[in-house]
Amino acid sequence: MASILRFLHWFCRLALAGVFIYSGYIKVQSPLQFASAIAGYKIAPDSMIMPLANYLPWVEIALGVLLLAGWKIRYVALGAAALLVSFTVILTVTYLRGIDADCGCFGFGQKISPLTIARDTLILIPALVLIFETRLRNLTAQASTAAGRTRAG
Amino acid sequence: MIAVLICLSLACAIPVQAADQSCENCLGGGLDAPIKIEVFSDFQCPACRTLYLDTMKQVLKDYSRLDKVCVIYHEFPLPMHPHAREATRYSLAARKLGRQQWLAVLDSLYTDQAIWSQNGMVQVSVARVLSPLDYQSLQKLLQDPSINETITHDIALGQERKVLSTPTMFVTAIGKEQRVDGGLPFPVLKDFFDKIVK
Repeated sequence: MASILRFLHWFCRLALAGVFIYSGYIKVQSPLQFASAIAGYKIAPDSMIMPLANYLPWVEIALGVLLLAGWKIRYVALGAAALLVSFTVILTVTYLRGIDADCGCFGFGQKISPLTIARDTLILIPALVLIFETRLRNLTAQASTAAGRTRAG
Repeated sequence: MIAVLICLSLACAIPVQAADQSCENCLGGGLDAPIKIEVFSDFQCPACRTLYLDTMKQVLKDYSRLDKVCVIYHEFPLPMHPHAREATRYSLAARKLGRQQWLAVLDSLYTDQAIWSQNGMVQVSVARVLSPLDYQSLQKLLQDPSINETITHDIALGQERKVLSTPTMFVTAIGKEQRVDGGLPFPVLKDFFDKIVK
């Protein structure tokens, strides 16, 4: 069981780090393109668009690097989850408002759809696993102890 | 001797010709401006209308006039828009009349987009902003085969640069080119420009 949990830990860390670094890297290449995507959401004031386009990708890259480095994983995963929840909420609201905007999530030219919303929600799973990892370990430890007692009894 | 003379005349002629050609579709600002924006636009596309009327006109007024930003418009009429090509032909003919006339026709075509997109009467929007003499000259210029050649050339250029939708912009500043698929509000571009040219 411990090896499965270890595998899950590494899988979630690498997957999440990869997603964040890739997503940030794409946006860093063209802040103006990302700014155009943000403007398309019609949610942020014009004065906020360029600062967001300039700094948000670096936040994503930093989260990815920290996940790889393994520094305060639980808190970094919490930050990643908060960012993902915000993205998902914004995507959903924009979609429900009927705005035909570019997702701007992983590259450009993909319109917001239930598929892009589902994808963002799916990426939340590894972040949640990393956040609740300790609880998950405790639960499995308790379960294995209980199973051992039953077998012994 | 003749070969040398031919080479010399070619060497002199080519740069001038190239400069004229590249300046032809310059809507504002010089080619030596620190920022260059190339726009692939379609007259019948609503997002292109917004980009021109709400963003580019302001860019032309606040930056191109001071030679800080060079705005180049490339024609990219999409096949899905039945009157876009005709509007483009009128715009290119107006370009041959002069920058003033070209700007007036661009303004009018984008402003009246909803009208001529419905009834196909592109010429009404053009005639409204030109003097009768200019409009007469424009009608003659419309027969010029170079107009269709320019459209074909611009479309080929767009395809070469993988333009899939309009508007698509290529913003070049500090030696770096950024592609933007879609429009941008003026305050956002202003934020970007002011970090470079202020």
